[in-house]
Amino acid sequence: MGRNTDKGINKINKVLIANRGEIAVRVIRACRDLGIPTVAVYSDVDRTALHVRYADQAVHIGAPPPRESYLRMEKIIEAAKLTGADAIHPGYGFLSENANFAQMVTDAGLTWIGPPPNAIATMGDKHSARVAVQKYNVPLVPGTPAGLPDEELRLAAEKIGFPVLIKATAGGGGKGMRTVHKMEDFNEALATARREAESAFGNGDVYLEKFLTNARHIEFQILADMHGNIVHLGERECSIQRRHQKLVEESPSVIMDEELRERMGKMAIDAARSVGYVNAGTIECMVDKDKNYYFLEMNTRLQVEHPVTELVTGIDLVKEQIRIARGRQMTPTESVLQPRGWAMECRINAEDPYANFMPSTGKITTLITPSGPGVRVDGGVYGGSEISPYYDSMIAKLITWGETRSEAMLRMRRALAEYTIMGVKHNIPFHINLFNSFKFIAGQIHTKFVEENFSMTTYETEASETEYELAAIAATLYEHRRRQLANQVVAPAKRDTSNWKWVSRWERLQK
Amino acid sequence: MKYITTINDKKYEIDIDSQGNVMVNGEARHVDFLELDGGLYSVITDKRSLQVVLEGDSGHYAIEVEGRMFDGKVMDERTMLLTQKHGPVGGGSGEVKSPMPGLIVGVTVEIGQAVFKGQTVVILESMKMQNELKAQMDGVVQTINVQKGQTVDKGALLVIIAPPA
Repeated sequence: MGRNTDKGINKINKVLIANRGEIAVRVIRACRDLGIPTVAVYSDVDRTALHVRYADQAVHIGAPPPRESYLRMEKIIEAAKLTGADAIHPGYGFLSENANFAQMVTDAGLTWIGPPPNAIATMGDKHSARVAVQKYNVPLVPGTPAGLPDEELRLAAEKIGFPVLIKATAGGGGKGMRTVHKMEDFNEALATARREAESAFGNGDVYLEKFLTNARHIEFQILADMHGNIVHLGERECSIQRRHQKLVEESPSVIMDEELRERMGKMAIDAARSVGYVNAGTIECMVDKDKNYYFLEMNTRLQVEHPVTELVTGIDLVKEQIRIARGRQMTPTESVLQPRGWAMECRINAEDPYANFMPSTGKITTLITPSGPGVRVDGGVYGGSEISPYYDSMIAKLITWGETRSEAMLRMRRALAEYTIMGVKHNIPFHINLFNSFKFIAGQIHTKFVEENFSMTTYETEASETEYELAAIAATLYEHRRRQLANQVVAPAKRDTSNWKWVSRWERLQK
Repeated sequence: MKYITTINDKKYEIDIDSQGNVMVNGEARHVDFLELDGGLYSVITDKRSLQVVLEGDSGHYAIEVEGRMFDGKVMDERTMLLTQKHGPVGGGSGEVKSPMPGLIVGVTVEIGQAVFKGQTVVILESMKMQNELKAQMDGVVQTINVQKGQTVDKGALLVIIAPPA
């Protein structure tokens, strides 16, 4: 898309999707709806993937590791030239927030279906993002700059108010991070954090941030076109996370009222304006229990959880992205202050909730996907397809809609019960357990809810006697048949093939 | 054949006769138990029709019913008596294997180090996630076959733990 001078004259006659999995399928669907031909790219292991099967054309771009395929910028642009694609949609992840790639696409004379490269770059750096949005008085989590001496940090801590978080400037992975609840503990915690940061990163520099207790993750979807129009499409709440990985999202949020939505929405629009944003983007915030909100970061791309916004606004975000990239005026003319109904999304991941969410790989042997009223499934797999270790573990997104939050939740429980995936371990049992949790049902959630208040070994409601008995009957019958089979194998003594071979054949016959 | 089946902490006496008729705690039950796919079963009883996922072997099973995991132990009367006399056999294995292909991002133990069951010994990165692989038993680290930065296949033997002396 690139330059604002190109307004209205960007031709999009064929779109290459520089991605894989469910999001590639999602973009192909929007293009199909618009009558635009599509080009898929794929690595060795994705030859049979759904996005390759759905696209009009497909180009092989390399080996399975992302840096040898889905991250190869020149190769992807070459694929666009080869097939005559005149636009590139990056999806999310991979190259979607790579300003350099966005620039390369534009320089190659192709249309980039995403924000301008400089907006990506500014928002991609934590420091420059804070500086940019501050000009528009967007509230940031109270804190200090890096590099202050101990005495000034002590004064700052007092001013920010406890609890505070001490964070290492060079930090990551929780190292050099300390939560301090009162002044008496501050000196010792500061010394420990500095020592830890020094030994881990060779840099003992720290800064302070207010620690937000029981905070929620709430984000605003915005859309901006090249004609200076910017709107927000309401919020999504993504407080159900584990290790900063979102698991369940919903729109609207239980804590939102129209007045707060209007204020936060205005803030989100300001944040987008501060970097001259065009196309779809998301402003992520933390909201504390007193409904104070703070800007976290801006995601300069389509989000995984965009369908919940689509279901409560009726807007197809990918179609809008393409429309905006073409230089046209976007469809919505005003912000959404009253979403219609309620939508919820569960990320269905190949992760075993009973084994610390360990990723699982292998062939999906059975796949029964839920459907029916109010149910949408965005997936990129089919029965017989492989979950490979090279890419993220998401199998599909299950989204439900209802007139109320209760109806959306009840539909989610029904859909989760219908979902059958065999061959790989998955987190559907986690979602079933979560949607039975009273606190979750009541909307009493925060970003540490899963880690602190939730467990897969306890259930808030006891299983019924019928379920217990059924489990007992199933296990016993299974064991009984196994033993009968073993006895039959041992009994006839003279057989020309080995007993093991015979068991295997017998088992195949029984299937 | 009479079985004593324990689901979590509830005990059931289940009798299966030569015709396949099922009695639960002395009461007859009509049961239709059918395999749909490897590990996936359809069970129809008088009270319910449900899909069940069953895993495990030799009398010890994990049974998933409606997203809820049950721990099941099936024993015949003879095994039941033997176990009561001698206590359960075995424990975890001392071999820590890679559950999936991935990259070793850290080995958190050294040879000769004492470890306890549940202690992290190797950190494996796969599908953009870091996974802590844990010791299955108490013991002493005997062998370490991998180092940081190495990629491993599924099933690769990473660390061997010997029983404590």
